[in-house]
Amino acid sequence: MRKVITGNVAVAYGAMLSDVQVVAAYPITPQTTIIEELATMQAEGLADLDYIRVESEHSAMAACIGASMGGARAFTATCGQGLFLMHEMLHYATGARTPVVLANVNRAAAAPWTIWSDQTDSVSQRETGWIQLYCEGNQEVLDTTIMAFKIAETLRLPAMIVLDAFFLSHTSEPIDIPDKETVRAFLPPFDPGDYWLDPNNPRTFGGITMNDAYMEFRWQIQRDMERAKGVITDVHEEFARVFGRKYHQVEAYRAEDADVVMVVSGTVASTGRDAIDLLREKGQQVGMVKLKTLRPFPREEIIAALRGKKKVAVIDRNFSPGATGIWAQEIRSALYELPEADRPLIYGYIAGLGGRDISVKTIESIYRKTLTDEQPDDVDMWIGVNYV
Amino acid sequence: MKYTEKKVSVPLCAISTTPGLVNKTGSWKFAEPLFIDRVSPCNQQCPAGEDITGYMYLASQGRFEEAWKLITEENPFPAIMGRVCFHTCEEWCNRKDHDEAVSIHTVERFIGDYGLSHGLKIGITEPEKDKKIAVVGAGPGGLSAAFHVRRRGYPVTIFDRDQKPGGLMRCGIPAYRLPRDILDAEISRLSEMGIEFKMGVTVGKDITWDALNTQFDAIFVAVGAYQETTLGIEGLNKQGIFEALKFLEEINLDGKPKIGKNMAVIGGGNSAIDCARVSRRLGAEVTIVYRRGEEEMPAHLEEIEMAKEEGAEFLFLATPTEVYGQEQIAGLKLEKMALGEVDDSGRRRPVPTGETFDIDCDGMIVAIGEGTRVDDLPPFVSHKKGVVETDQMGQTTESTVFAGGDMIDIPHTITHAIGSGKRAAIAIDRFLGGAKGEEKGLDQFKWGDKGTISVGRIKGTTLFKRRSPSTEVIDYEGMNTFYFDHRPRIKIDRIPAKKRLEGFQEVMTSPSEQEAVSEARRCFICGSCSECGNCYIFCPDSAIKSDPEGYGYIADMDYCKGCGICVNECPRGAMKMKFME
Repeated sequence: MRKVITGNVAVAYGAMLSDVQVVAAYPITPQTTIIEELATMQAEGLADLDYIRVESEHSAMAACIGASMGGARAFTATCGQGLFLMHEMLHYATGARTPVVLANVNRAAAAPWTIWSDQTDSVSQRETGWIQLYCEGNQEVLDTTIMAFKIAETLRLPAMIVLDAFFLSHTSEPIDIPDKETVRAFLPPFDPGDYWLDPNNPRTFGGITMNDAYMEFRWQIQRDMERAKGVITDVHEEFARVFGRKYHQVEAYRAEDADVVMVVSGTVASTGRDAIDLLREKGQQVGMVKLKTLRPFPREEIIAALRGKKKVAVIDRNFSPGATGIWAQEIRSALYELPEADRPLIYGYIAGLGGRDISVKTIESIYRKTLTDEQPDDVDMWIGVNYV
Repeated sequence: MKYTEKKVSVPLCAISTTPGLVNKTGSWKFAEPLFIDRVSPCNQQCPAGEDITGYMYLASQGRFEEAWKLITEENPFPAIMGRVCFHTCEEWCNRKDHDEAVSIHTVERFIGDYGLSHGLKIGITEPEKDKKIAVVGAGPGGLSAAFHVRRRGYPVTIFDRDQKPGGLMRCGIPAYRLPRDILDAEISRLSEMGIEFKMGVTVGKDITWDALNTQFDAIFVAVGAYQETTLGIEGLNKQGIFEALKFLEEINLDGKPKIGKNMAVIGGGNSAIDCARVSRRLGAEVTIVYRRGEEEMPAHLEEIEMAKEEGAEFLFLATPTEVYGQEQIAGLKLEKMALGEVDDSGRRRPVPTGETFDIDCDGMIVAIGEGTRVDDLPPFVSHKKGVVETDQMGQTTESTVFAGGDMIDIPHTITHAIGSGKRAAIAIDRFLGGAKGEEKGLDQFKWGDKGTISVGRIKGTTLFKRRSPSTEVIDYEGMNTFYFDHRPRIKIDRIPAKKRLEGFQEVMTSPSEQEAVSEARRCFICGSCSECGNCYIFCPDSAIKSDPEGYGYIADMDYCKGCGICVNECPRGAMKMKFME
């Protein structure tokens, strides 16, 4: 079925098609229409799920963890301040090995109060042990939602789908909605194995653990995050076989013969393709790499994509005060192991915070600056700031 | 070895290796939760002892056949009751303190009609017996008694002086309140059960009471109250003056009483309203003359309201002292009354003022009450001014004779009569089984101390399971009403007043199935477990479990710590805490 829907409705369709059994959520702009749509689907009998209304995002995640421990496929959605409030429980979901799926609509942090998009909320959760999957368009949003359950449940690690506020959440696109039977064949029911709350065989989960075992539990999280790279690739390939749409953790665009490569994530990739095409028409040797996964970070793939390039321009719609943009940090860290001859110069740019547009012109100006500056600046450059 | 192939000796997440069940934390408690079944105020109030919350629960799930069977455990006439019972249950409904009382009669009416349209039958529940029962009077009391003894396997013969069974339900209640096809259909189910009807037989005249007492092992008598109270004034023999019951009987048996164009109806009870509404349908102008005020009227509020809609006029605080006219009534002299002290009935007493005035009328119906005709009674039972003396189960001073309906000391309503018939049937069964004198033992089967005995409670009906039934009545304060939404009571349409006056078409329209279910869902099911699952959900120790017997929940005392959360969160007061010794 082909439908014109917003990114938020695409998330709801993805969750519904995945036969999600428990939704516990708290409304927050711009996420609200996701859970409204799911509530409607439940009311109309389209989705057979238990909908738990909670008093906060913290409780929403706690309820999802409980549901997941009870053997149910659990889902929630939030954004910005809601994700910050959820932070403690995000760590817990990982430690409890509950494959909860969360859709986060990127919303910039307060204060000052704002509802517009940037990635500060999701990148701030980098260390929680959640798989993070960033999306470029509404089709990718729907497809990633379905894939997220499969990835999470295979690894017993929680997964976050990330989409830009308004650019995706409230913008409609025509997309393909797969039929339920095909999705069911692709995504079998969640099997909790030995780890689930059984009233007839009650056990203590996550009880106090001494220093003789704690590291082993954490190490397994790290091991499985490393395994996740292979699992995500496998799921991407299986998805492509079944549904005919292929996704990548690292996707190169006209980058093969490029001297300068722009690295982007989320909706900036869409604008980026236009900018690259325009620059190529003007004879520029420029390409682009789109990153889908922040965690696990696709170190090997990014090295392969950027090895031997002259210059790399990373556009971060986020920043870490006192340091640099998060994607730039990750890429610098990954490429450091290359021999100096193969190691590109890395230019970091902060742009589009709080929903400010990153247009084709913005990307072109970033490219021009990268091309002309012999060396990167000491810190990441802020693009579009009105200095006086 | 690749990084991802390395293993450690701990499971994926920290998990206790021994099930928590070894730690029987229930030993900490000093109080324990109990699942009990309390009595709803509506069930206590029902004079026929119906299990209202039980059938509301079933109807709310669309289980109408079971709901019908649950009603007919107690009362053979749900379609009649849903129409004519004055549903005092609704006055006691706990929901009235929340928003509005549940329209119980609307749901009962739907269930009754469902039974009729689906041809549901009533079975005999016990083996055939050889002791024979006679029932004298085919009114609601007699039919109820016959029904209940027949269900217990006794052969029953009903005697009545009328040609058709029904008693006051047929002679007293006009068709616009109770259509005749409904009445006939519900009574015909009794014939199908094998009850023998001997109509047109007046006991005491066509057959002697002694003969009856010899031929039958027990007799139930409910011949009603047909002695009409008179006004005690001169000139009541003039043409155009009627007694209420005779007037209603004539019209209800398809007669055409010659009434005037301008009728005065004397009285403030339901019979007075019936007479007025019938007269309006016969084309007369009607004035109801009542000696007390509107608030003191014993007639049902909705009846008064509908009489007003149909154009009946009311004249309060007046009573006739003289009838004008020669052969034919031509008017009345009325004395103005005032309201005095509160009397035994709880209403303010009318006090004569001495001041009089006249009204014109060419007809009058006197509807000021009735008593039993002493001539109608068996000679060997004791009575006080026609009110037969019985014990609480209906047994008279003559041990083989039981009595009920309007001739014993109970309110004169169809529902009370039906309840009295049921009580007597239970007593007759016990009497013939030789289990006499155990009335006290029956108290546990009453819907509360003030309630009527329930067959379902005696027999332990499985249609709606009541677990550990008590006789404790639950009020609104005793429930956790946080869990109940606010939703208005169903409004049932009446046909327009103009159309009503064209004939005797039923005034109240039928609810749809959806409406009946929706209204049944408004019932709180006070005092009983509805399997809402709150106790199960809230228990912090997972000590509440599904009852292996199939309905409701149990508390596992090995793990219950006695916190009482389940009892607190039970919406309907079907649990309580008990301190342990």
